[in-house]
Amino acid sequence: MRGASILKANDDKTRSLNKHTLMAFVGEAGDTVQFADYAQANIQLYSMRNNSELSPYEVSSFIRSELAKSLRSKNPYTVNLLLGGYDAIKQKPELFWIDYLASSAPVPYAAHGYAQYYCLSILDKHHHPDISFEQGMKLLRMCTDELKRRLPIDFKGVLVKVVNKDGVTLQEYPEGEQMYAP
Amino acid sequence: MNTLVARYSQPAAHTHAYNADEDSQQLIQDAAPQLSLNFALPPIASTAQWLRAMTDDHSNPNVPIKIAHGTTTLAFRFKGGIIVATDSRATAGNWIASQTVKKVIEINSALLGTMAGGAADCQYWLAYLGMQCRLHELRHKRRISVAAASKILANLVYSYKGMGLSMGTMCAGVTPTEGPALYYIDSDGTRLAGNLFCVGSGQTFAYGVLDAEYKYDMEEDEALELGRRSILAATHRDAYSGGFVNLYHVKEEGWVKHGFNDVNPQFWRYKLEKGEFSNVNAKLDETSGKV
Amino acid sequence: MARRYDSRTTIFSPEGRLYQVEYALEAISHAGTALGILATDGIVLAAERKVTSKLLEQDTSAEKLYILNDNMICAVAGMTADANILINYARQAAQRYLLTYNTDIPCEQLVRRLCDLKQGYTQHGGLRPFGVSFIYAGWDPQRQFQLYQSNPSGNYGGWKATSVGANNASAQSLLKQDYNEECNLNQACELAVKVLSKTMDSTTLTSEKLEFATVGKTKEGTIYHHLWAADEIDALLKEHGLGKKEESEPGTTSAATNAENRPEGAPAAGVH
Repeated sequence: MRGASILKANDDKTRSLNKHTLMAFVGEAGDTVQFADYAQANIQLYSMRNNSELSPYEVSSFIRSELAKSLRSKNPYTVNLLLGGYDAIKQKPELFWIDYLASSAPVPYAAHGYAQYYCLSILDKHHHPDISFEQGMKLLRMCTDELKRRLPIDFKGVLVKVVNKDGVTLQEYPEGEQMYAP
Repeated sequence: MNTLVARYSQPAAHTHAYNADEDSQQLIQDAAPQLSLNFALPPIASTAQWLRAMTDDHSNPNVPIKIAHGTTTLAFRFKGGIIVATDSRATAGNWIASQTVKKVIEINSALLGTMAGGAADCQYWLAYLGMQCRLHELRHKRRISVAAASKILANLVYSYKGMGLSMGTMCAGVTPTEGPALYYIDSDGTRLAGNLFCVGSGQTFAYGVLDAEYKYDMEEDEALELGRRSILAATHRDAYSGGFVNLYHVKEEGWVKHGFNDVNPQFWRYKLEKGEFSNVNAKLDETSGKV
Repeated sequence: MARRYDSRTTIFSPEGRLYQVEYALEAISHAGTALGILATDGIVLAAERKVTSKLLEQDTSAEKLYILNDNMICAVAGMTADANILINYARQAAQRYLLTYNTDIPCEQLVRRLCDLKQGYTQHGGLRPFGVSFIYAGWDPQRQFQLYQSNPSGNYGGWKATSVGANNASAQSLLKQDYNEECNLNQACELAVKVLSKTMDSTTLTSEKLEFATVGKTKEGTIYHHLWAADEIDALLKEHGLGKKEESEPGTTSAATNAENRPEGAPAAGVH
C-alpha cells in the first residue's frame, strides 16, 4: 500500500525455500520480499552445496539467526513469518511462528497480525493434533469465514498452499460469499 | 472564572436542552429528570480534552489516571431467550485490580446489563438506568421495554459525548411485547439491536468461537455451553480478560444465573477431556488440584 | 631436478607431483597406527599410542582420539601439533553450525570443511601442508553411522573399515580379509584389537599403548561417543586373550558390556 489504494489483490506472499518448506511473510513493504528472497537463496545454496535439504526445523533456526543478526543491525528487516514444512526424515509436518524480533516457536497452528485475534480462539477450540487434511481445510474455512465476517478491513481472501511429503502445491480455494454478522 | 464554573457545572443534558415548546421540554424532563446529575466539573476550558490527556493510555502509557477497561462480555439471542456471559477481571494498565468483578448488572428481575469499558462509568450509569427503569414501572404501571431502557442509556451517554465516558454495554431482556431483545450501547452513542454481540478487549476471541457455531435454533444447554466456551476462549488469549465466567440466561419469566466459575479448572477440563488448546504443552500437575 | 620443486608446496614438479604433500604423507606413515571399523550398530576407532620414553609422563588424556562434537569423534595419525590446529578448527566449525541450524553438523560437511582448509595449505604460497591424516567416526540422521578418512592433500572418502599410520598397508589388508558387513560393535572391537595386535611392534598389548573409542546408540536411541578408560581397554584385551597374562584383576567389567551399553543415560559427550 502506497497511499490508500490496493495495488494488487492476489499477491503471492509465500516463497518455497526447498522442496519441503514454505515460508509465508508479512510486514514492512520492501523488507518482506527482500528478506524472503535472501532466505530462499541461502537455503537453496545449502541444498546445492551439500546435496541435501535442511529440515524445516533447521531452516527455522537459520532464519531465526538471520533475523537476530538483522535486528541489531543499522537497518533491521521488519518481517513476520510463518514457516511450514514436512520433515522427510522424521516424516512429520512442522510449523514455526517467527516474528521480526527473532523469536521462533514451534506451534500446531499460527497466525500473524489482526487475523490472530479472530482465528486463534477458533483454532484453540477446533484444532486437534491428529486431524486429517480435509478437517484441516474445513478449519481454515471457518477461519476465513470469520475474517470475512468480522475483520474491519475489506478482506480480499487468501492464497492457500499445502506442504506434504510430495512437496509444495497450490491448493484450490474457491471464494465464498461475503459473510454477515448474525 | 465563576462563569466557567457555572457553565461546566450544569449537567450536559440540560445545556443541550431544546426549550422552544412545552412538549419537548416535557420529554427531556422525562428522560433525564433533575436527580443528582449536578457534577462538579474541574475549572478547565475543555474538560473533554483534559480528561483525554489524563486518561488516554493508548497515546501515553504513563497517564496519571488509568481507567480500568479490559474485558470480555457477550450476549446472544436464541430461541430459548438470551445468553449473557462475561469474564470477571478488572485491569488498570498492567495491574490486575480484581479477579472477581461482577460485570453483569441485574437491572431488575427481567433486565440485564453488561459492563465493559470504564468500570466506574458502567456501574454508575447502569445503576442510574436501574433507577430510571423502576421509575418507569411506577409511572406507567408496567415494565419498561428493552428498547426503551436501552434508549435511556444511549441518550444519556450521548449527552456526555466527548467528555471521556468509556462504556460498551449490552441490555438484554425478554418482554411480552418484544420477546427476547438485545441491544448494544456504547459511549460514542451507538445503539444497535442484534442477535449477537461481543464487547471488550477480548471480543475478537469470543466472536471467533461464537460465530463458528452460533445459530438461533439452539437448545438451552447448547447455548449456555457456547457462551461459557466463548468467554473461556477470550480469557485464554486476552491478557485483560480472566478470572471467572459469569453466566446468565434471560427468559420471559426473568433471568436465571448459571454460576460464577473459575476459568482455570474449566480450561483444563476442555484440554484434557476434549483435547482442545493443543498449543499448550504444559501438563496439569495431578497433585495440585482436581479438575 | 626434484630438489627445485621439493620446497615449493604450490608448484607441480615436471612429473605432475606435489612433493611437499607426498612428504607429509610419508611423515604420517611413521606415526602410530590408527584404524576405524564401521559396524551395523556403531563405529569403533582404535589407535596405537607410541610410548617414546619411560620418563615421559603418561598423560591420562587421549592423545590420538578426539571428540569433535556431540556426534563425531576422530583418530589422528601424524603431527599432533598440526592436528590440534585442525581439531580446534573443526570444533569451532561444528559449534558455528549448531548455532545457526540448531542441529549437529552432518558428518560429511564437517569432514569437508576440514579438508577445504587442508587443501588451502597445498596451494597457497609459503605454507606447509598439515602433516595429519584423520579417521572420522560419526552419526547423522540422514546417513546414520559413517566412517571417513582424510589426508594432507585435502582428499577424503567414506570407508567401511580403514587405517592410517605405520603399517597401514598390512592393517588395511587384514581388515579387508576379516571385515564382515553385518558385524556388530562388539565384533568390530574384536577385529580392531586383532588387527592392531598383528601390526603393532610390541609383543603384548596394554592399555598404555592403545586408545579406543566407540560411537553408538543407547537403548533410548540417543547417540553416544565414548573414549575408553584404561580398565575398559584391558578388559577387552583380556577377553580376546591379548592382554598381559600374569596379572588378572577380578571384578573388572567385561569388554562386551562396555561396548554395548556403555554410557546408558550418561551424557552423550564422552569423558576422557
